[in-house]
Amino acid sequence: MDILRSFFAILIFPGGLCLLFVSLIYEWVDRKLLAQLQNRIGPRWFQPFADVIKLLAKEEVVPEGVDAGLFVGLPILALAGGLTAALYVPLFGLVPIYNFPGDLIVTLYLLSLLTLCMGLAGSNTLDRFSLVGATRTLTQLFSYEAPFLLALLGPAILTGSWQISDILAYTNSHWLLLTQPLGFLIAIIGLMGKLELPPFDAPEAETEIVAGALTEYSGRGLALFRLGKGVELLVGLTLIAAFYLGGVTNPVFFLLKTLLLLLIMVGVQSLMTRLRIDQTVGLWWRYGVLAVFVQWLGIIVLKGVLL
Amino acid sequence: MQKEKTVSSFTIPIGPQHPALKEPGHFLITVDGEIVTKTVVRLGYAHRGIERALEERNYVQCMYLLERICGICSHIHATAYCHAVEQLAGVEVPPRAQAIRLLVAELERIHSHFLWLGVAAHEAGFDTLFMYSWRDRETVMDLLENMTGNRVNYSANLLGGVKFDVDDALEGEILKGLEFLEERTHHYLDVVKTDIMFLQRTSGIGVMTRRQAEVLGAVGPTARASGVARDIRVEAPYGAYVEHPVNIILEQDGDLRARFIVRLRELFESYRLIREVLETLPAGELVGRVPRRIKASETVSRVEAPRGELFYFVKSNGSDKPERVKVRTPTICNMLSVIKLAVGHQLADIPMILTGIDPCFSCNDRSVQIRSGDNLQVLTWEQLRQFGA
Repeated sequence: MDILRSFFAILIFPGGLCLLFVSLIYEWVDRKLLAQLQNRIGPRWFQPFADVIKLLAKEEVVPEGVDAGLFVGLPILALAGGLTAALYVPLFGLVPIYNFPGDLIVTLYLLSLLTLCMGLAGSNTLDRFSLVGATRTLTQLFSYEAPFLLALLGPAILTGSWQISDILAYTNSHWLLLTQPLGFLIAIIGLMGKLELPPFDAPEAETEIVAGALTEYSGRGLALFRLGKGVELLVGLTLIAAFYLGGVTNPVFFLLKTLLLLLIMVGVQSLMTRLRIDQTVGLWWRYGVLAVFVQWLGIIVLKGVLL
Repeated sequence: MQKEKTVSSFTIPIGPQHPALKEPGHFLITVDGEIVTKTVVRLGYAHRGIERALEERNYVQCMYLLERICGICSHIHATAYCHAVEQLAGVEVPPRAQAIRLLVAELERIHSHFLWLGVAAHEAGFDTLFMYSWRDRETVMDLLENMTGNRVNYSANLLGGVKFDVDDALEGEILKGLEFLEERTHHYLDVVKTDIMFLQRTSGIGVMTRRQAEVLGAVGPTARASGVARDIRVEAPYGAYVEHPVNIILEQDGDLRARFIVRLRELFESYRLIREVLETLPAGELVGRVPRRIKASETVSRVEAPRGELFYFVKSNGSDKPERVKVRTPTICNMLSVIKLAVGHQLADIPMILTGIDPCFSCNDRSVQIRSGDNLQVLTWEQLRQFGA
């Protein structure tokens, strides 16, 4: 029975299919809100589903000069990374399916897998847009990954544990947003950087390099990468909501808090001009990291004084 | 595959099909990492042989074809042509018709500059500004539609005059529309001047000094953003611009920001002109009589299109068809500056620098390649005609 229950949790609910379904809904909310803020109508609710289904049904063209194994395998790995990460976070306000000491670090690494796969996928092809896109993707990976990681380690330092369930036990009763506003800010912008949302979409700036690293992808591979991004969005939102917004102890809180975060992200997306890749890197390493370290110092000093 | 990856600089083709280009043009950009080291441009993908086709049509038919050279500044093409033909035929255009021509030309300038603002914002990755500026542009499109019945090819000109009159109801509509647009323009000017994120992409990018602008032969707002006082409406006033002088708008910085500011400030000048013309609209005829056949002669006509100087050369031969019509659009004059300015910038800035001149590829695609490499190729008049120009 235990095995069956595990399979159910991983494949159907709350991981697997259910997760994919909800992530597509979130993608729609993102697109619709952005459209409304930009004075557009935006897509219908089933548009992300239609996109994915149509892409999955299409032929996947493997271009010449690529390592076919990598080309086909990377999208799967990327999606698998996101889906695995989802097992360790309190999705939909439920208790994480699995936990072990140090699972926070593992989750964060799994979340980086998507970007890494995209970078590799881009550099695997001979297409010049892909190569430039891949360079930018990997450059961006090195710039925002550290601040995002550090921002989510803030709560971990506070509770003295690298296990998500331990941290949750503390954050469920404390709004860390009030005590660690800098960390919250970095975390939410870091998530946007991870997902290459505007204004951090230099790696896929369509007016310069078409679709960036994924230019050569079509059909199934593109669908899987998009699903991977959707999953990562949901997992990222869950983590930030759980750590900084007083935890997600039930599905209603989960919905309210993650959608609130999404609204903030959409606002940032609609208000800003795309940053050049050098500006993105500069922003993170000049201000992002500094802000996080200030935050850390605050936590450590206060913890030493108070406890 | 391995070799390909160890090369530190490679060329990136932008175009002929590329999301940054709404029309076909080809830019071969050599980059070292993200820095552009060389740019090569290849035009001619939208060549339509219009100049050759004109020689097969009579003067009236030509105008319809010429209006279709550019989908954005159709009226100004017809105006330039009309001025030339009227000059050849020695026809006096009634003052009311002149004023209405100016009116449509300035409304067209407003529509063109709003369109450009949107496109440029999109290239910078600021889609919100893109959407809003195009929404507001609808106001002026509606005005043009109410006036002439068309949104794009207004066909307002006739040889010797104009087709459409302006009545009180329309005047009221235009004034109301201008009020809204003026308020919005103030807002956009504020955005391009103060939005920090936007300034990061425009301030100090693609700087063209005054000297460079003069040497490269830049025209229109691109030149005026570099402090070059070049505006046909001021230098050589034509039509109603003689009675309604234009104040030239200049900026000294020469970067993308200056080009944004010049174009937006020009809108205020257009609003002022339109109001002035509507107030002092002279009464009278709309069309003067133009003969069907025009005696052999030749003339040039220069007008200020939204993108800069538009040049027409018309040669008549005594029949009802022109012997030769040569068109030079502002884009071809400004294209050189793109190639020059792009070097040393980041790849991300190239679409912005290109859009900064407000390119219109199908407009400029009519030049014949006379020189290729070292061998000077001279075409005879007949060959040139064969070539289609």
